[in-house]
Amino acid sequence: MVNQLNNMFRRLIYILVLILVFASCKNEKKEDFSKEFSIPDSVLYDGDLAISEAAINDIVQNISSPVEMAALIKSLGVPFSKDYLATTDYVDNYNTSYKKAIGLGVFGADLGYLNMYNKTGSVIDYISAIKTLADGIHVGQFFDFTTLKRLATNNQNLDSLMYISVQNFNQMDRYLRENKRSSLSSLIVAGVWIEGMYLVGEVARRSPSAELTEKIGEQKIILSNLMLLLKNYQKDPSFKELIEDFEEIQSLYKNVIITYEKGEPEAVEEDGMLIIKQNDKQFIEISDELMFKIINKTAAIRNKIIQL
Amino acid sequence: MRNSYLIFALFAIFIMNNNAAKAQSGQELVDLCNIIADDATYLKDFQVKLDAAKPGEEKPNMKFSVVLSKSTQYRFSICNSKDYTGKAIVSLYDNNRLLGTNYLVATGKNYPFFDFKCQSTGVYHIFIDFKEGEQGLAVVLLSFVQKL
Repeated sequence: MVNQLNNMFRRLIYILVLILVFASCKNEKKEDFSKEFSIPDSVLYDGDLAISEAAINDIVQNISSPVEMAALIKSLGVPFSKDYLATTDYVDNYNTSYKKAIGLGVFGADLGYLNMYNKTGSVIDYISAIKTLADGIHVGQFFDFTTLKRLATNNQNLDSLMYISVQNFNQMDRYLRENKRSSLSSLIVAGVWIEGMYLVGEVARRSPSAELTEKIGEQKIILSNLMLLLKNYQKDPSFKELIEDFEEIQSLYKNVIITYEKGEPEAVEEDGMLIIKQNDKQFIEISDELMFKIINKTAAIRNKIIQL
Repeated sequence: MRNSYLIFALFAIFIMNNNAAKAQSGQELVDLCNIIADDATYLKDFQVKLDAAKPGEEKPNMKFSVVLSKSTQYRFSICNSKDYTGKAIVSLYDNNRLLGTNYLVATGKNYPFFDFKCQSTGVYHIFIDFKEGEQGLAVVLLSFVQKL
């Protein structure tokens, strides 16, 4: 009886060991995967980071949102135009991590614009380009190409197409930040911003409106936050050039005047829903002449970025 | 005897898998929160896991900063993990003022989401803690509702 019990416990231990081995193998695989492309910015930039990598993770999010830019354009009743979009024909020419990351941002903004107008026919070119670039900087595992392609091909569940694509970009961003590759994350943000600005600018050229003028003017605030992020990597020659280009836009923005009038916020319940109303007022002064200077400068820099 | 080993091993595997299945992941909470956000368009998610407050100490919290745009209505949806007792309180600040929160102390009412009608483009701060300083896991989703 004792022998039988010993035998049983021995076998039980073997089974448990096997289960633990399988479980640990599974974890180990995950860990190895996350270690891919894990040269931290602190090594690449040799202690030259102005802001620590930990602090970068605290930096402002949602600096540029493809959804919001595209939603503004659509809300004005402006028809869709493929002419505004960056071509995906030369995606193979994005051959450095720098170009791939900034290209990801550019195509991400274009994808937001396409999704907002439900242009699923063209979406596939952009998700293919994004997948190629994302793989190139080892974040392709976060871009669910198969699901996005299926949704776009079948022209079904377009809300999911938007949700999954935006979420995939957030996952890439989070992964890059958590793995101390915030420099690439900053480039993606810069790419989204410049392309979003370009789209709004081109629409403003053809269909001017007070909303678009204001949108372009308020980018003064957004650009100052973006510059803070980019300047952290100014020792890198590629970043240096990008920063210098963006500084040219920023110098134009010096003549945009933004003033505020403070109001008391209020919380109201409407149909059981809590709504917080901000009663501040923000005034953005920008002349048409200045706006077109900003649009032209932005377009020149954006075209330089995508001209590979 | 051989059968009893097999039954025990299967039971152990079942228990382990079952425990794994029960734990709610951050991704599940994001998906759930996106349903709560209804027809608003997903922009960002903030995942927070905090330990219980220690006696005599401040409640732990987490801060996130986001850029929000003028003339835009945003939605903040809150989803708490069922694996923890903590209920998240989300407070939205501009530079130095509390603009609003999903938990109204006066009524004791906890809202699963709230909308913010933004009238000034700039950086806003989201502070998340858990009611009574309990341990918790939650996801806060920021979504775009409409241009105003």
